[in-house]
Amino acid sequence: MKKWMILICILLLPAAALAAKPSVYVYNWTEYMPDAVLSAFQKETGIKVVYSTYESNESMYAKVKLVRGKGYDVVFPSTYFVHKMRNQGLLAPIDQSKLTNFKHLDPMLLDKPYDPDNRYSIPYVWGSTALAYNADHVKPEQMISWKDLWRPELKNRLVMNDDLREVFGVGLIVNGYSVNDTDPDHIRTAFESVKELMPNIRVFSGDSPKQPLLNLEAHGGMIWNGEAYMAAEEDPAIRYAYPREGAIFWVDSMVIPKNAKNKEAAHRFIDFILKPEMAKLICEYVGYAPANRTAVSLMDKALKDNPMIFPDPSVVEKGEFQMDVGEAILVYERYWERLKTGL
Amino acid sequence: MNENKGFKNTAITVNMLWIFLFVLVPNLIVVVISFLERDPVGFFRWEPTISHYINLFDPVNARVFTHSLTYSFGTTLLTLAVGYPFAWFLSRVGRRRRPLMLMMVIVPFWTSSLIRTYALVILMKANGVINSLLVTLGLAKGPVSILYTDVAVYVGLVYSLLPFMILPLYAVLEKLDSRLLEAACDLGATHLQVFARVVLPLSLPGVMAGSIMVFLPSMGLFYIPDLLGGAKSMLVGNFIKNQFLTSGNWPFGSAASVFLILVMVSMMAVYLLVMKRFNRSVMP
Repeated sequence: MKKWMILICILLLPAAALAAKPSVYVYNWTEYMPDAVLSAFQKETGIKVVYSTYESNESMYAKVKLVRGKGYDVVFPSTYFVHKMRNQGLLAPIDQSKLTNFKHLDPMLLDKPYDPDNRYSIPYVWGSTALAYNADHVKPEQMISWKDLWRPELKNRLVMNDDLREVFGVGLIVNGYSVNDTDPDHIRTAFESVKELMPNIRVFSGDSPKQPLLNLEAHGGMIWNGEAYMAAEEDPAIRYAYPREGAIFWVDSMVIPKNAKNKEAAHRFIDFILKPEMAKLICEYVGYAPANRTAVSLMDKALKDNPMIFPDPSVVEKGEFQMDVGEAILVYERYWERLKTGL
Repeated sequence: MNENKGFKNTAITVNMLWIFLFVLVPNLIVVVISFLERDPVGFFRWEPTISHYINLFDPVNARVFTHSLTYSFGTTLLTLAVGYPFAWFLSRVGRRRRPLMLMMVIVPFWTSSLIRTYALVILMKANGVINSLLVTLGLAKGPVSILYTDVAVYVGLVYSLLPFMILPLYAVLEKLDSRLLEAACDLGATHLQVFARVVLPLSLPGVMAGSIMVFLPSMGLFYIPDLLGGAKSMLVGNFIKNQFLTSGNWPFGSAASVFLILVMVSMMAVYLLVMKRFNRSVMP
């Protein structure tokens, strides 16, 4: 009898310890946070981090939505998904008074139209989508505007992101509209423009737009700054240019789902990520700019002065952040199918 | 004896439960959703409709399907053209060398097909192996465009699906009685006639099985046209994925999946019908 009791106690002990130990469920992009940050958080706070990852905003959204935000405590959606999830009431408000490190954030990235006053989201890292070209084949003065993509000498030589919002975004910009336009007529105009661009497009890249540039199949196109940075390290001829109409900007933010169980731990986690040393570690790992101004001052001068990662504020001012387009996404999708079927 | 029966029954029950829970139920959910109205907030709404099935036949969506079918038919014909001679050769080569050659067909397929597709990119890219060779040998002045063209897509598809064609063909050709060929020659048939009137009709079951085994998966291998063809045309796989993820149109995506399943089932039905006739004609 006694032996049994002891055995049961031993078996229950870890379970009890586990139950007593607070934990936080983090759902993030793949390869978007170094393990060192997670273990440092566990060591400092004693809160266990349960970490899982996703590949796209869309799959993250579908999952969080199906479980009504239960089961995840911190998620990292991009700009227009913050907007969408906020509009649908999927997010819990963030108590900024609990974030001692909020002051380190770059004011340039705060209080944006997709989440005024940052009531629901705290920026994590940010980047841009702009022009890329191979300087061996394209002169820098030939790549200063989105319209340059339509140049006849680039026939069959462009790489574009395989993302309907970004591709039609370019079509909207060259026609003088916003990348977040929801007017079907404007989207049609953008579609007509992009359709004229089709003979120039060699490849729509879904995974890594730097590859076609590196293997010389493409001589120019659109690319994310982090990808351009990595490509330039491999082949210095590959350059990145902010078009004069303005680039497309995006921010990945930290949010807390409405029905998260460990909201307290989630706040502590977000606050920990906002520590400048942590933000620096993360930036060095992911290759995109941190939303943390203090962290930037801790970095190497070469990195800090690289306009590919840290553009001039005036460039950011001119650019646009993607927002949710609501039901207009169906119009976009429809034209996307027409673009790709050639009808 | 009794124990044996008990084991058999549990094994079958577990299997059936597994198939029921993880194959039948999810597919039934897809069928049900395909008849419901789309909802921007909740993915779908409990309102019956058949509009999604009607929408499948509008020109743009129909083009997506015909495009995929074209790729699949082309791939099937090409794998047949490449696989048939190889299977024939394999069935005629000495018995001792056969296992080795079969291994050579199968072993590469133990590596993930995604990785092998990336390897093809390295071969075909502008500064890749094939182009460097062509330029060095003076056969081409500059790099030839291979990657991100239809040629690359077909190379990728044929390469990925070739064993599915070779193996059923080999199984049939190996069993082919060589005395039949000798008899045909004795009766004065030319080589071409022997092939066309003896070998080909008798290997038809292998041709059919191989074609089905190549055709059906080629509809789903959308990442090969994406990676090697540059994603410039939309195929059924991407189309369904976009309906679910980008536009949040679950009912329409479900309808497209159900339609695809129906197409495949009807092809299987045709196959079974042809085989039945064939068996009757061989063994009256």
